[in-house]
Amino acid sequence: MAIDPNLKILVVDDMSTMRKIIKNMLKQVGFTNIDEADDGATAWPKLEEALSSGEPYQFIISDWNMPQMTGIDLLGKIKANDKLKTVPFLMVTAEAEQGNVVIAVKAGVSNFIVKPFSAQVLKEKIDKIFNT
Amino acid sequence: MNILNDPSMKEIVQDFCIESNGLLHEMETILSEFEDNLTQTKNLERFGQIIDRMMGAAKSLNLNTLATLCELGKTIGYKASQVTDENLLNVVCGILFDNIEIIKKMIHGINTQNQDIMKNINLETFVGRLRWLSDKFKNIQRSSVAIDKANMDQQSIDNLLKNLGF
Repeated sequence: MAIDPNLKILVVDDMSTMRKIIKNMLKQVGFTNIDEADDGATAWPKLEEALSSGEPYQFIISDWNMPQMTGIDLLGKIKANDKLKTVPFLMVTAEAEQGNVVIAVKAGVSNFIVKPFSAQVLKEKIDKIFNT
Repeated sequence: MNILNDPSMKEIVQDFCIESNGLLHEMETILSEFEDNLTQTKNLERFGQIIDRMMGAAKSLNLNTLATLCELGKTIGYKASQVTDENLLNVVCGILFDNIEIIKKMIHGINTQNQDIMKNINLETFVGRLRWLSDKFKNIQRSSVAIDKANMDQQSIDNLLKNLGF
């Protein structure tokens, strides 16, 4: 099933270059409605604000390692919120230890992607998340 | 095509260089503070967090040597933050300063597209020295650092996720 290109996406990463790379890839595979946050701590108010404005984010792509609120903490907060808990969450990491993958799965992550990745791999992950 | 010659990536690579220079300055300040007081090992943890940011972006831009230097710097920073041996920490501090200097030159070379800038630096020897130092901490367990052999690639993660019902 085709995914709405206007899907509202939030990209969370503390490195501005990474946010640009991911946004670039998302545009390459057809998505147009992309917003960004530089940490879990700045992502959270954006998520709440979007929810109260009636235009909630429909997909979150987040780095794991961030200084103030990590990706796993952000995921935990999202899953604890009744209105946000169903929003798909793709975790991005430069390195993944098996224990961390299991922790993320238990926390409710939708999928996992390891840097470096291509636009094609990102698309495959998104397709898998939205078509299963 | 080399990413550095790819026009569509030019702006991102330039932004990466600017952002990296800011982070390198931040790391130098942290290391200077640490050099003044080797008991403040939390500074090495901060160092590890910052160099980790550069590592992820460097990997994504296929800047593999740079990513290796960042990865080893991160490993050493995180793991050394858990030791108290001041002699060893002095060595850590010196090598991490050297790492920053080499990374700075590399970033300058990328930004100016001047490959010659690294000609007089024996990277292989320096990477060997970083590996030697990171080996000193091999008994310290910490997730999310490259030295841990349990780190997985995308295929292994996909297999694990499959086994977990994804």
